Amino acid sequence: MNPRNLIILLVIAMVGFLSIFVVEEGERAIVKRFGVIQTDAAGDYRIYEPGLNIKLPLFDNVETMNARILTLDAPADRFVTSEQKDLMVDSYVKWRIVDFGQFFLATQGNQLMAESLLQSKINNGLRSEFGTRTIREIVSGSRDELQREALRSTRSDASELGIEVVDVRVKQINLPREVSEYIYDRMRAQREAVARAHRSEGQEKAEVIRAGADATATVIVAEAERESRTLKGAGDAAAAKIYADAYGQNPEFYSLLRSLDAYRAAFSNKEDVLVLSPDSEFFQYMNSKTR
Amino acid sequence: MAWNEPGNQGKDPWGNRGGKDQGPPDLDEVFRKFTSRFGGGGNGGGSGNLSKMGVALVLVGAVIVWGLSGLYKVEEAERGVVLQFGQYHDLVGPGLKWKPTFVQTVYPINIQRVNRLNASGVMLTQDENVVTVQMEVQYRIEDPRKYLFSVTNPDQSLSEALDSALRYVVGHTTMDNILTVGREQVRSDTWAELDGIIEPYDMGIRVVDVAFKEARPPEEVKPAFDDAIAAQEDEERYVQEATAYTRQVEPQARGRAERMLREASAYKERVVLEAEGEVARFTSLLPQYEAAPEVTRERLYLETMEQVYSSTSKVMVDNKEGGSMFYLPLDKIIQGQSQNTQMAPAQQQSAPNRSVRTDTTNDRAGRSTTRQGRN
Repeated sequence: MNPRNLIILLVIAMVGFLSIFVVEEGERAIVKRFGVIQTDAAGDYRIYEPGLNIKLPLFDNVETMNARILTLDAPADRFVTSEQKDLMVDSYVKWRIVDFGQFFLATQGNQLMAESLLQSKINNGLRSEFGTRTIREIVSGSRDELQREALRSTRSDASELGIEVVDVRVKQINLPREVSEYIYDRMRAQREAVARAHRSEGQEKAEVIRAGADATATVIVAEAERESRTLKGAGDAAAAKIYADAYGQNPEFYSLLRSLDAYRAAFSNKEDVLVLSPDSEFFQYMNSKTR
Repeated sequence: MAWNEPGNQGKDPWGNRGGKDQGPPDLDEVFRKFTSRFGGGGNGGGSGNLSKMGVALVLVGAVIVWGLSGLYKVEEAERGVVLQFGQYHDLVGPGLKWKPTFVQTVYPINIQRVNRLNASGVMLTQDENVVTVQMEVQYRIEDPRKYLFSVTNPDQSLSEALDSALRYVVGHTTMDNILTVGREQVRSDTWAELDGIIEPYDMGIRVVDVAFKEARPPEEVKPAFDDAIAAQEDEERYVQEATAYTRQVEPQARGRAERMLREASAYKERVVLEAEGEVARFTSLLPQYEAAPEVTRERLYLETMEQVYSSTSKVMVDNKEGGSMFYLPLDKIIQGQSQNTQMAPAQQQSAPNRSVRTDTTNDRAGRSTTRQGRN
């Protein structure tokens, strides 16, 4: 009898085991009986909370779904701005399932499928938002607003999937190679302008300083010139006064002395040839016989 | 929760088979009841008892193993999140703990460790420039339950939020600010923005610090930036050079001015002294002249003429008999004079290969005679 008892015991244990199921924290479950989702008394889909739950063995199928906030991180996509420039935009979407029954109906509980549906909706929203903005507006102006807009436009679509979009964020905005080259060129030009401005300002300051120095030097020299001329003039005047005072005593004698000095100075060289006439006063005694 | 806490007696691994426990010890009893009810006494006998003993032994062993497997340790820095049948049950502190295996699951989470995350990349700034920025965020898990169950992959979510926050802030700051004075502003703005982003995610993560690691222009334009910095140095250098020039020019000018003044005062003294010297002869001769004008005049005249005639060449012509046809080779006379006075140059002149130098020598001779004549 023992083996029979054992079998009965095992069957009971198995039935018991099959009629309970565990829903983990961070998950929710629905139960399908012959493919029909179980409802509660109010007629809504019955959502099984984390913990130990009971079902009918064999007939009921448990479908668990993630109740956490999920991340949809699609690869960067190319968007066109209002000025027809291309941008590589990497965005992510935070979403979670709020209506588990609806979600299950729309996607068969397949998270990947939900994400691909969501992805195209988000991208459409973002695309229309990017298309009405310039790069500048996207990058620095209204990125917050842009995200809110995208969030709002996807919200209604999302509710059809039984999900809630918590957040849409632009993670990276990268410029395509050809656009970034333009930007680099512009940055280089800007830096060059800055560099030139610095150098020119330096030269300007240097020129001002040099000119100031030259001016100071010129003034110093000119003042010295004035002083020296004044001094020289005073000297000349003093000398003239001395001459005038002395020679004024006897102008005739001065005239004699000065003339004699002048003769001496004028004829002092062997190369000076004097053609003399014996009639000269100097030779008066030479011709004394004739006289 | 420890196994021996009150209200948890049922989970005592050693004994305590009483009560309404549904654990294996009761199964043993149920088993016995089953065997008695189905009247197994007849064929059972000693062999039945033996198998019962064996089954009981196996069951006791299983219970011991099960009990031991429930022991676990929570480290000092950790908190254990206890799930009972998948449902959040409790949060336990550090120490040696026990859980009923299969009923409870424990996830130890370190709440003390400061984790780091980096975000870096090339980003657009407000003025449509591009900078390479690297930012590090340090965070701690504050609420282990939320960390585990409110978001899938919270660390990844934080990283994405940081990327978004950093780019948002960089996009609202000008490049000059990011590279120079606005770094602290960028850091605090990023922190605030990051907190704002992760707040609705409710991840149980607290950002402890946000550190600005580096911000620099992209490699492609680095030479231009370096040159701009070099230009600032150049500007400074030009000014320094000009200052040096000033330091050179002004003293030189002052020196020159001083020289001019000294020369002028020397000139002044010289002309006065010369005048006095010249006048001195006159004033000392004047009394003599006034005393005997005729004689003095005559004497002075003759002295002068003597000097003049003795130092010059002269030709006396008695014009009254010469008439108009009279040839006087003045140039020959002059040449003769100079050859006579300068014999040495004349000898050199005969050497034909030095004709060029001769000219200069002649010149010099001429000048020297001039000087002689003045003396």
